[in-house]
Amino acid sequence: MESTTGLNKAGGVRKFLNSKAFMLVVMIVAEVIFFTIVSKGMYISMFNVRNILSSMVITAYLTAGAVFLMISGNIDLSTAQVSTIAGVVMAKLLLAGMPWPLAVILTIAGSAFIGLINSVLINEFHFMPFVATMSVSYVAQGIMLLITHGAAVDVENPAIVWIGTYRIFKQIPVNVIFTFIIFAIYGIILARSKFGKHLYLIGGNPVAARLAGLDPKKMWYVLFINNAALGGVAGMLQAARLRAGTTNGIANGMFAGTTGAILGGVSFGGGSGGMGGAFIGLVMINAFNSGLTVVGVNPYWQTVASGMLLLIALTFDYFNMRRLEGLK
Amino acid sequence: MSNYLEFNGIGKAYPGVQALKDISFRAEEGKVLALLGENGAGKSTLLKILSGDTKPDEGSITINGEQVSFTAPFQAITKGISVIYQERQLVPSMNVIENVYSGDLPANRFGFLKRGEMRKKTQEIIDKFGLPIDPYELVGRLSVAYQQMVEIMKAYRRDSQIIAFDEPTAPLTDAEISVLFRLIQQLKEEGKVVIYVSHRLGEIFQITDEIVVLKDGRMVTTMKTAETNEHSLIKAMVGRDIGDTYSHLSRNEEIGDVLLEVNNIVTEAVHDVSFKLHKGEIIGFAGLVGAGRTEVVRAIFGADPVLSGEIKLNGTPLHFSSPRDAIAQGIALCPEDRKEQGLVLWRDITDNICMPVFDKLLKGLFVDTEKSEDLAEAAVNRYSIKTPTLDKTVIELSGGNQQKIILGRWTSALIDTKILILDEPTKGIDVGTKAEVYQMMCDFAKQGIGVIFISSELTEVINIADTVIAMHNGHITGTMTRDEATEEAVLALAMLD
Repeated sequence: MESTTGLNKAGGVRKFLNSKAFMLVVMIVAEVIFFTIVSKGMYISMFNVRNILSSMVITAYLTAGAVFLMISGNIDLSTAQVSTIAGVVMAKLLLAGMPWPLAVILTIAGSAFIGLINSVLINEFHFMPFVATMSVSYVAQGIMLLITHGAAVDVENPAIVWIGTYRIFKQIPVNVIFTFIIFAIYGIILARSKFGKHLYLIGGNPVAARLAGLDPKKMWYVLFINNAALGGVAGMLQAARLRAGTTNGIANGMFAGTTGAILGGVSFGGGSGGMGGAFIGLVMINAFNSGLTVVGVNPYWQTVASGMLLLIALTFDYFNMRRLEGLK
Repeated sequence: MSNYLEFNGIGKAYPGVQALKDISFRAEEGKVLALLGENGAGKSTLLKILSGDTKPDEGSITINGEQVSFTAPFQAITKGISVIYQERQLVPSMNVIENVYSGDLPANRFGFLKRGEMRKKTQEIIDKFGLPIDPYELVGRLSVAYQQMVEIMKAYRRDSQIIAFDEPTAPLTDAEISVLFRLIQQLKEEGKVVIYVSHRLGEIFQITDEIVVLKDGRMVTTMKTAETNEHSLIKAMVGRDIGDTYSHLSRNEEIGDVLLEVNNIVTEAVHDVSFKLHKGEIIGFAGLVGAGRTEVVRAIFGADPVLSGEIKLNGTPLHFSSPRDAIAQGIALCPEDRKEQGLVLWRDITDNICMPVFDKLLKGLFVDTEKSEDLAEAAVNRYSIKTPTLDKTVIELSGGNQQKIILGRWTSALIDTKILILDEPTKGIDVGTKAEVYQMMCDFAKQGIGVIFISSELTEVINIADTVIAMHNGHITGTMTRDEATEEAVLALAMLD
């Protein structure tokens, strides 16, 4: 039973936080009902549901990386560009006749190397993450264009194409399953492992964490490298699905991964949020965009609507923060 | 017309602390009034009230008979008040002229700056004070002393009639101090009301005319500088005894072998510091803010690099390159600033207590929630931390309970702390909890833990510690046993000029 005022406050915060995720789920349900009615059932057809799930695949990797980075109080604007270059590089390697497992491993290693560059700039030269990763992003983009001269590179390797396009029972894309498993693994690491605990503590207060014997610098190295490697995986999957490494990159560019994370309640300040929320955020954006397409909204309006969705989520966060600040 | 400033019954409380109570005095033009007191006596709070940074709970400020009340610093500035803080309020990337005029840059009707006028007036002020400053120099390139001069010029340019200095000499060399004093003298002769906050007694006698002594947020006495001496000032600052809390402590009587030996360590802020800590001993570091006490313990803890010297634990020389190394050897630090350096405020009690030992709380690949909660619960019970649940975020707890969480972290069953360093453990916590913290320190000593204790409250240090070490300016200036240590003696060492 709640007996003191302090306890009531605690209960209030908890309820409030819970209601955030709850609110998102309610919004998704409302979204589904609305679009289903307006589209006369087309919205929940197998075809469209599969489309929604497929549209989440690429951003899911970027989101997973972004969630970890944001909880640690960082951001990486180069991820989408790393993805693009990874798709192209893998395609080139395959074209040169390299066996696909080796091409995949080399591409991941190359992506991770870009993450290492980010880490060094941020940890050793103390660049702002925003500035460092943005610069790296442009360099990566330039190199990619130099390699390809702006032209897509075909992917014909059967194994890669299988990963990109095979559907179990002719319905469920294998890459969707693959992605969900990886997303779940990251979720479990974050929620249950020592690494996850340390991540939250370092993100919440790096100074205190260091004085309690944790190693923030090492953590930041791991996170940037991990994030770039995930970006690489996303890029390879994209290439596998399109059967080509393309040069035009990923929608929403630099903020592709952060959007879902923010919508799902991961704050830029670090130390809070989780994969569950980010997943809901991801579903929400993609279900929403798909709904607008299905009911035939002008694509320009879709962009406006996506922005509005994000603003609503952030406004909600602002009021939430203000309430918590009041407890200080 | 003569300028004067009056404080009438000023009172201010923060949660758990009565920072100021019944402060009434009058400062007049052409005189320098000293505000004297130990750390935490309330000097800074009073200056904040004067500058409009904080509102008093009770009482009022009167300037030349007119009662004023501020809700923001700019209002105080308009009323002719300038407070010159230790942390300078300048823009380093702008030049002297722009800084002198910052806040109200003069512009013509098209919005362009009157650059000529600004330059001329700034040069006039520079000449008036006879300073070798180039008005076009960027403020960030000036020495600390000259930056301070720019602050004074800024106050002068605003035509402030009341100018307060918060420990202005702390970062200055002797030569720079004499220039500053010349400036203050000039301000005084021009009929400004000057308030001078310092705890360096020598200076007080050099440049002030009147002294107001504060202790624990109350006024102890007001006197004319000419009619007093160092001895009676120190007595007034130290004041009455808190007394009984200390005689009721159950202390550790058995002091063991040498545990920690620090030989001639040097860091950026510490010079040639040596001491020995024994098992079951409590060493208290006394000194003023900035004396280097925190820096000594940070060096021992591996948080700051040690440039030279040696640290031995149980006779073995050790080198720590990070706190992690020190923790592995059984050294624990409860830092001075709980919120910034000790706790992860938005995480819950369990996480904050288990923080250093998650590798010992694993079940397979995952953190064992049950074990973690048991560990946290043990700490909550042991230190009677007042909380309804373990998953409360620590930001919601009181200062005393937050402090106990950090203590709980370092004294849990999974960590073998041999040396416990407490930096200002009683800062901002109420009297009752303070007594609890004292007893805890004695209990740690009884378990054979060596305790290093830093406090700016002298009474505390000399009554709790077995050995008192006084520091000043990065040096150890004296070491005494509890029996030898009196507040007067320690204060004299800590304020050594």
